[in-house]
Amino acid sequence: MWTLENLAAGAVYLGLVMYAVFGGADFGGGIWTALASGPRTPEQRDQLFNAIGPVWETNHVWLIFVVVTLFTAFPEGFAALFTVLMVPLVIALIGINFRGAAFAFRHFGRQTGRPVSFMASIFAASSMLTPFAFGMAVTAAASGKIVFMNGLVQVEPWIWFSPFTLVGGAVGMGICAYLAPIYMTVRSDGELRGDFRQRGIIAGLVLGILTAAEIPVAMVDAPLFAGRLLASWAAFFVVLAVLAGISTQVLLWRCRFLPAQIAAAGTVTLAMTGFAAAMYPDLLVGQLTLAAAAAPTATLRAYLSVLAIGIIILVPSLLFLYWTFRGAPDSELPH
Amino acid sequence: MADLLSARALMGISLGFHIIYSTIGIGLPFMLMIAEWRSLRTGDESYHQLARRWIRPAAILFAIGAVSGTIISFELGLLWPRFMAFSGPLIGLAFSMEGFAFFTEAIFLALYFYGERRLSRRMLFFCTIVLTLSSATSAVFVISANAWMNTPTGFHLVNGVLADVHPWQAFVNPAWAHEAVHGTLAAYAATGFAVAGVYAAALLRGPAREHHQRALTLAMTVASISLPLMLVSGDWAAMTLAVQQKPKLAAMESLFTSTRGAPLVIGGWPDPASGRVLYGIEIPRFLSLLAYRDPDALVEGLDALPPGTTPDPRLVHPFFDLMVGSFFIMLAAAVWFWWLRWRRRSAPMGRWPLRAVLVASPFGMIALESGWLVTEFGRQPWIVHGHMRVAEGVTTQTGIGLVLFTFLVVYLVLTAGLLRLLFRPASAGTQIPSRQEDRHVDS
Ligand code: HEM
Ligand code: HEM
Repeated sequence: MWTLENLAAGAVYLGLVMYAVFGGADFGGGIWTALASGPRTPEQRDQLFNAIGPVWETNHVWLIFVVVTLFTAFPEGFAALFTVLMVPLVIALIGINFRGAAFAFRHFGRQTGRPVSFMASIFAASSMLTPFAFGMAVTAAASGKIVFMNGLVQVEPWIWFSPFTLVGGAVGMGICAYLAPIYMTVRSDGELRGDFRQRGIIAGLVLGILTAAEIPVAMVDAPLFAGRLLASWAAFFVVLAVLAGISTQVLLWRCRFLPAQIAAAGTVTLAMTGFAAAMYPDLLVGQLTLAAAAAPTATLRAYLSVLAIGIIILVPSLLFLYWTFRGAPDSELPH
Repeated sequence: MADLLSARALMGISLGFHIIYSTIGIGLPFMLMIAEWRSLRTGDESYHQLARRWIRPAAILFAIGAVSGTIISFELGLLWPRFMAFSGPLIGLAFSMEGFAFFTEAIFLALYFYGERRLSRRMLFFCTIVLTLSSATSAVFVISANAWMNTPTGFHLVNGVLADVHPWQAFVNPAWAHEAVHGTLAAYAATGFAVAGVYAAALLRGPAREHHQRALTLAMTVASISLPLMLVSGDWAAMTLAVQQKPKLAAMESLFTSTRGAPLVIGGWPDPASGRVLYGIEIPRFLSLLAYRDPDALVEGLDALPPGTTPDPRLVHPFFDLMVGSFFIMLAAAVWFWWLRWRRRSAPMGRWPLRAVLVASPFGMIALESGWLVTEFGRQPWIVHGHMRVAEGVTTQTGIGLVLFTFLVVYLVLTAGLLRLLFRPASAGTQIPSRQEDRHVDS
């Protein structure tokens, strides 16, 4: 169980969860700037933007962390994934670029007092595109359709495109749209808080429906994965995720915002844990095991020691960051 | 073949794009640190104000640095998966450490940028120290990966398969030391001149403002201290190449045949057909002297290795000359500037020396880009020197031409947006509060 490659896979899993739970909320912020509505539309948008400001770059580094860990610890798997999944990954990259740029441009362009709604719509569009493409890419690895033989992955242009991955993409987007408003309830007050509460509840329902739909779709379209999901530890985590999701809804309903925020992050974490448990022990379901994709022992050892030292530096810095920018976001921009 | 060419072009363009922003990401924190330190030491608010003025442009440049870096880390897999499958276990460590440097950098960047009202002055200064250190460290780490491609160590090949892997040995590969020192210092020289240029232009355009003068002096100080270090470290790099990467040195200097007492050729166009350099200026025996500290030493030429295993001097030699030439342009401007400074202490700068600084200001970036082209073109046709050719590392996926086109559009749009924003007339350092929302002020 505690083999080196399993520990390294744990790092990939951890990175993905962190990216979803923190970065996902940033993407969700972008999605809700597009869906902002009602009498307080501009306030909703501003609040979402201001909250993302100080943390987006840090949250983004989790993605780099995942990529780097993959090619260091699972070079064969990295090569296979990045070869077959070229299209969704390129789409995600384009989204990341336009999102980052539009965010910076809008955020700092606003000081000149010019209209920036064009930037805002690019920001919103790419906030949807990227999680959708990532959702497709991650679920494609679970689809069992990617063929890996004799150390080479079979290049088929449309292999990543199926009902299973389409729903996967929607779930990716759903996770982001779910987290953002719930996190915002803790960081706003008054009517604005009510707006975010309502949106969080709606997004929770949508995400619940989407993930529930993914199971029958998987049974038809990705049977190997579905079988593992329902017949192992994975099922246990799925049940926990459902319970956490229901608790979140109840907590939101009863205006217990801080516990709701924690429960929402827990829901996403547990759902991803279920997914990861169903993938285990494979990197490409049914084709390439973690052990077969893993780098030599010396590399895994060196990587894990770097990880240990890195975490000692990272954790206090992260805590300091989130502690400094807790509470209501500053409306004033840096100058 | 077309896919390979597209992949190479895309990789080169992406790195050439990223390096501009990452260079500023290394150089600017250093200047922020000096300004904040002076402000704390002397109690002079204006230095702090100066630093805060840089934040808006810096934040945009950093954001583009981050997203363009993300493109590169994906491209390693999208374009070169077979190279990464081979080298990931060896160079992955450098990138993993770089990842933690990025975390530190992003966190303290946010604290510094957004923390004006939430943190003390001392804490803000501390943030700039961490920023300076972490950005320089990230460069030193990523350069280790590049140096490994030039001088791969830390493994054996048994029937074409990796064996006996020592990632730490790969990390401290032979080319790392000189590349890391020369390549990281370059960021300070290049950013120093770029910033000096901005303020020289401002002084030339409008009435002399106190903070323009200050910023110009600060930037020229940073640039001018790094400049001699570039010469010393560049000389070290060339001497090391003479031992470790002979084909690159030969291509750099357009030396077709191994020669005793080899001349240094400046300028000219290397012509592989005739094996001569057309229109170049020759300094007899100088190459032997520079490379081995002995005017009669034997320098290996491109003919020392079988054809098809050496780089094309037409791609390497001109860029080497451009790097060294840029050095002398910057040197001339810097010497003039400080000479006048020393002669007439407090008098404002005349227009001609300011123009000289302005003209020299892009040459830091030009030298930096061309230095990287020397390093990269000089490794050809290898992706891992002596072990894997570029053609063996490229993806088996097709349609790379389309990917190249897509990212070209992305880069063009980003550049256009950036230029529009940075050169907006109203934005130059003025602070126009946008919409006044004081609902959430918590102090
Ligand atoms: C940032 C400054 C850099 C610039 C401007 C640059 C430029 C280039 C160029 C022009 C090429 C294409 C060469 C050719 O195919 O003829 C290239 C290839 C490549 N570079 Fe760099 N490079 C830089 C730094 C790095 C670093 C730090 C790495 C570290 C790992 C790296 C890795 C690669 C790889 C993997 C290729 C593809 C294989 C090849 O063509 O040899 N580069 N780069
Ligand atoms: C193959 C080569 C390279 C890769 C894969 C790469 C990757 C990256 C990535 C992923 C980021 C974004 C981190 C973030 O989100 O903040 C980044 C930023 C950065 N890179 Fe690179 N990079 C490469 C070459 C270089 C080189 C040659 C240098 C330095 C000489 C460099 C220095 C930096 C710095 C300082 C940043 C932070 C910039 C900022 O946030 O403004 N990189 N790089």
